[in-house]
Amino acid sequence: MTPVLLVGVAEVMVERSGVLNLCVEGAMLIGAFSAFMVAYFTGSLGLAILAAGLSGLLLCLLFSFLVIVLALDQMVTGLAINLLTVGLTSYLYRACFGWYVSPVPPHIENVLQPLKIPILSDLPIVGDVLFNHVPLTYFALLFAILCWWLLFKTKLGLKIRAIGEDPQIAEYLGINVNLIRFLLLLLEGFIAGIAGSLLSIAFYNMFLDNMTQGRGYIAIALVILARWNPLLLLGGAFFFSFIDALQLRIQAIGFTAFPYQFALMMPYLFTIAVLAIAGRRVKGPASLAKPFKRVR
Amino acid sequence: MTIGIAFLLGAAIIVLAGRNPATAYYWMFRGAFFPSALPETLIRAAPLLLVSLGLAVAFTAKIWNIGAEGQLYIGGMLAAITGLMLKDLPAPLAMPIIFLVAGLGGAAWAFLPAFLRAKYEINEIITTLMLNYVAIYLVSYLLNNPFKDPLSQFPETQTLPEHLWAPILVPGTRLHLGVFIAFLFVPLVFFLLRRTGFGLKLEVLGANSKAAKYAGVPSALLIVQAMLVSGFLAGLAGGIEVLGVQHKMRLGISPPMSPYGFTGIAVALLGFLNPLLIALTSVFLGGVINGSMTMHRMAGIPVGMAGIIQALIIIFILASYFVEESLLQRVLRGWKR
Repeated sequence: MTPVLLVGVAEVMVERSGVLNLCVEGAMLIGAFSAFMVAYFTGSLGLAILAAGLSGLLLCLLFSFLVIVLALDQMVTGLAINLLTVGLTSYLYRACFGWYVSPVPPHIENVLQPLKIPILSDLPIVGDVLFNHVPLTYFALLFAILCWWLLFKTKLGLKIRAIGEDPQIAEYLGINVNLIRFLLLLLEGFIAGIAGSLLSIAFYNMFLDNMTQGRGYIAIALVILARWNPLLLLGGAFFFSFIDALQLRIQAIGFTAFPYQFALMMPYLFTIAVLAIAGRRVKGPASLAKPFKRVR
Repeated sequence: MTIGIAFLLGAAIIVLAGRNPATAYYWMFRGAFFPSALPETLIRAAPLLLVSLGLAVAFTAKIWNIGAEGQLYIGGMLAAITGLMLKDLPAPLAMPIIFLVAGLGGAAWAFLPAFLRAKYEINEIITTLMLNYVAIYLVSYLLNNPFKDPLSQFPETQTLPEHLWAPILVPGTRLHLGVFIAFLFVPLVFFLLRRTGFGLKLEVLGANSKAAKYAGVPSALLIVQAMLVSGFLAGLAGGIEVLGVQHKMRLGISPPMSPYGFTGIAVALLGFLNPLLIALTSVFLGGVINGSMTMHRMAGIPVGMAGIIQALIIIFILASYFVEESLLQRVLRGWKR
């Protein structure tokens, strides 16, 4: 749940300011890649997470430049950067470890461990479920709440939402539209990179080509479902990961009559189904995905 | 010029990996555009071309069909299944049926996102993307279980009977009928987009969907139609790949590092949704894909390179759109003073 939650909340912030950032998928992937590489070569998980955040940030820096400064089409640029990232990460991975990866792929020994909160995690059932997670999960929950508060209870949040509805008027009112969008995008890149790092150094211990498997896009779908509200996103992300965990369980049970491919399909079908039911005619921030050229 | 920058950056990345860019690009060019390699480039370009043409139709109406990859897989799978079912029919009868089924399969796969977008305004980028994954898993299941070739250890269907293989057009090469069909669609789609009312309506829808409604354009129906056409062509691409190159359905029919469905998006955009430019671009990118495989074999460059170069090309061409404009403006301003 955590990667999708982190990316989702960050995307809510960015989309509230009017930018549709598809390259979170790429940011996650490059985060997963950098985290793994750094963890493999230095053994430090903390450094790995930092590297992941920075690489995601750099990727979104590229995106911001293309989309804010050059005002290129946001969807296309995002997709292009994602394609670039898949090629780049696969290429660099092979450049490092050899063109033909041996039967046992390189993996890291120590994976990010869950952090038990002292007393609370000893509670009978609730303890293990709620309080025995990788530290980033707690951070993600806090981040969601923080963003909700920021967006709806502060002046900055008001500015962000204003930009999302009508950037031109916001500009006339003295709000620096481009700067705020730029900063939000950088933040999102950093967060998405860290979210991606969870894949390669927490949930698994290796890097695989295109290992994000569309999770960034699912996060974007969840943003729509959550009506651009970080708290609703929390619920959405939870439900999504419920399905995800369910399909893993189904595979683990070894229900041979039920082919594993159908289990793997479930998260994606679920996303479509939920969108079909709850995502109808949802109106987002009015200026979403429209390029903004400052009129001086 | 912008393509040049993309290649320069690619060269830099190659150097980063400790390899010689000159030899790398030599092999890429040799594997792509040398006379001996041209037929293979055209073969590689054919499914790409069909996919891109289909995408151009949808993109004209600003309908972002990102599901071409899934539609292609479904089309290919159906082509193989139909081929195996119809194996006793003579080729001139069976083949058109197979192509039709492949196309219809792709169209059917595009229908759900089309409907959701038309009726409920649900973002088609996400729905089509999700269905990609579903399609690939579905095909994987089908290839591993019901339709698996009992004689093979790989997930693939039985090889189609030889009379159902797409006939070779130029002896000595693998250039097959499918390639011809793909290029046939270039004038067809051109006509559709530029000379019919349907094409005009698509453009109106793409320009301003609200105005389209006031102008009486039935946008819901149009959205579905555009997506169906797009899906049909993608499915057909899968079909020609199965009949013409693979002669069976397997999981890897789309180049792993630059899948037809996604590369097609690039080609459609680089061709500015113009079928003629798209034809040129798909041949070019087909060459890049093949060239990068040659580069991989002969110079040891990992196959990710094609993906990188492609993406760089897209980004730079998009960016150049802006830069040239403002350079021109700057020059004009300077001139006026």
